[in-house]
Amino acid sequence: MSDTMVNDKYETFVGLEIHIHLLTESKMFCGCKANYGDEPNTNVCPVCLGYPGVLPTVNQKAMKMGYTVARALNCRLSRKTYFERKNYFYPDMPKNYQISQFQEPVGVEGFMEFEYNDEIKKIRIHDVHLEEDAGKMIHAGDMSLQDFNRAGYPLLEIVTEPDLKSGEETEAFLRAFRRMVRYLGVCDGNMDEGSMKCDANISINTPGAGLGTKVELKNMNSPRFVRRGLQYEAQRQAKALDEGVKLIQETRLWNENRDITESMRTKEMANDYRYFPEPDMPPFCPDDSFMADVEKEQVELPLARKHKIMRKYGISSEQAEFIHDEKVNADYFEQVMALGADAQAVYTWLSSDVQKELNLLNMTLTESPLSPERFSELLKLMDDGKISGKIAKQVLIDVFEEDRDPSAIVEEKGLSQISDPQAIGAVIEKVMAANEEVVKAIREGEQKQKGFLVGQIMKETGGRAAPALVQKILSEKLR
Amino acid sequence: MNKEELLTTASLALLELEEGEVDRLGEEIARMLDYFEMMTKLDVDGLEPTTHAFQKTNRLRADVLNNNNNNNINNAFNRNLIMENGNDVEDDFFVIPNVL
Repeated sequence: MSDTMVNDKYETFVGLEIHIHLLTESKMFCGCKANYGDEPNTNVCPVCLGYPGVLPTVNQKAMKMGYTVARALNCRLSRKTYFERKNYFYPDMPKNYQISQFQEPVGVEGFMEFEYNDEIKKIRIHDVHLEEDAGKMIHAGDMSLQDFNRAGYPLLEIVTEPDLKSGEETEAFLRAFRRMVRYLGVCDGNMDEGSMKCDANISINTPGAGLGTKVELKNMNSPRFVRRGLQYEAQRQAKALDEGVKLIQETRLWNENRDITESMRTKEMANDYRYFPEPDMPPFCPDDSFMADVEKEQVELPLARKHKIMRKYGISSEQAEFIHDEKVNADYFEQVMALGADAQAVYTWLSSDVQKELNLLNMTLTESPLSPERFSELLKLMDDGKISGKIAKQVLIDVFEEDRDPSAIVEEKGLSQISDPQAIGAVIEKVMAANEEVVKAIREGEQKQKGFLVGQIMKETGGRAAPALVQKILSEKLR
Repeated sequence: MNKEELLTTASLALLELEEGEVDRLGEEIARMLDYFEMMTKLDVDGLEPTTHAFQKTNRLRADVLNNNNNNNINNAFNRNLIMENGNDVEDDFFVIPNVL
C-alpha cells in the first residue's frame, strides 16, 4: 500500500528527533577522545564516568557547532543558554542523569526548506539543543557489558514540528538534512555508524481533525528504514481506526528483519525526567565575536546551491542533484567552470567516466589526481580538436594512473589528433588499396561497408585521425 | 503529600518503601514541603528565575584531548586504574547483571 492510499482517508503527521554526533576532537564536557570504534573503555576519564567531585566543562567547538546548525536552521538563537540535568536510571549513563538542555536550548523556532517531488517544502524546527551521548551496552546471557567510550560524546538534537506528511517525504527530508550537516562540516551524517540517528513520532487523523494519538518510533537506522517504518505504522494505525480500535500512545520499535513495528514494553508510569539547571556549569552568553564566528561558519546551503548551479550554468534539476550532493563536488564543478568549460560536458564526464575511475580506485574527487585544472585542460584539448573523445577517455585513465597533466600525456604518447587532410588522405588511399573488393562494393551502392573502411583508417592511425575529416575525405575519394 | 505522590517520588528515586515507612515518611516529607511552601508567598513578579547561584558565565574549554586515554601509566586517569574500580571487568568491559 502506498503512502497516498493512507492519505486519501487520513492525514499523517510526522515529527522527528534527529541526533547528530558533532565532529569534535574531544567529548562534550571532558578532554577524552570522541572517536568511533576504539577498544572498549579507552576514551574514558572520571568526568565521563560520572565520578563524584568532577567538574564538567563545555567544549567550545561543540557550542559553536550547536549555534552554527541552529543559525542554518533559521532558529532564534539564545542569548543565554544553559544546561540541565535530565534524570533517569539506566546503566548506560553512570551519573544517573544526562546533561542536556531544556528551558534555554541554543536555538528555537526555526525552519528548514527542502525539495520533495519538485516542490519546496518548509518544515518547522521546534528546537536545537546540545547534550551528551550515553555509553554503549552489549547484552549477553545474564550479563550486560558496558563500554563508556561513547558516554559524553557531543550530541546535537534537532526536534522538528509534526509537519512531515508521509514516510516518503520524511526520507527525502532526512537526506536533505544529512546533506546540510555535511555541508556545514559539523557531522559526517553516517547513519550506519550511528553518527546520525533519528526517532520519529507519527499520528494519523481524519483530514482537518488535527493531530491524532502519537506513537513514538525508534530503531530505524537508515533513511530507508525511516520511510518503511513510518509507512508501516501509518497503515497499522489506519487499519486500527477503520476497525474502530482505539490507538494508544506508546513507543514502538522498527524490526528491520520482519518489516514491522513492535510495541515496546509499556512502562506503568510516564517518564518524569525532573529537569533542573546543571549547577556545575554556568550559563553561556554568546558575545558579538562568538556570533560573528557562527556567521562565518555559514555556507551556501545545499538547496540554494542547487538552484544557483541550475540557473548559472543552465543544467537540469537532475544533473544539479548529482553535482550538489556533496559540497566538495559542487565546489569542484564550479572551479572547473571558472577555468572555462562547457557545463554539459563537465557534468557528463563527472557522472560517467570520472565517476567510474573514482569508484575503481575507491577515492573521492578531491583526493584524485584529476585537479580542476587538469580536468579543464583535458576538455580543452578535446574542444580544440587536438584529441578525439575516444582518446580523451584514455588520457583520463592515464591522468589517474600517472598523476600527470593531460597535455604532457598527449604529447609524450603522440596522441594528438591528426587533422592534416594530406596525411589523412594518404592513410585513406593506403586502406582503399588494401581493400579493393570493399571499395568496389561501396561504389556499386553498398554504403553500409563504408563503416568498415572508417574502422580500418582509425586502426591505422591509432584512433588519432579527426573523425569528421576522415568522413569527408573518404566520401570524396569514393566518388 | 498523599500516599500516591510519595510512592511515585520513591519509585523515581528507585527506593522501595515498606508499609510502615510510607505513613511515617508521608508525614515527615509533608512537613518539609510545608516549610518550603513559605517561599511561594514571596513576590517574584518580573524577576528572572535564578538558575545558578554565582553570576559567572561562559566557562568553556578548547576542543583539545587530555591524553588520559592512552594507557599512560604515569597518568592518574589511565585506563588500568579506572578499570580497577569496576566491581566486575571482562575483556575491558565493565560487567553488570543483564538489564534487558
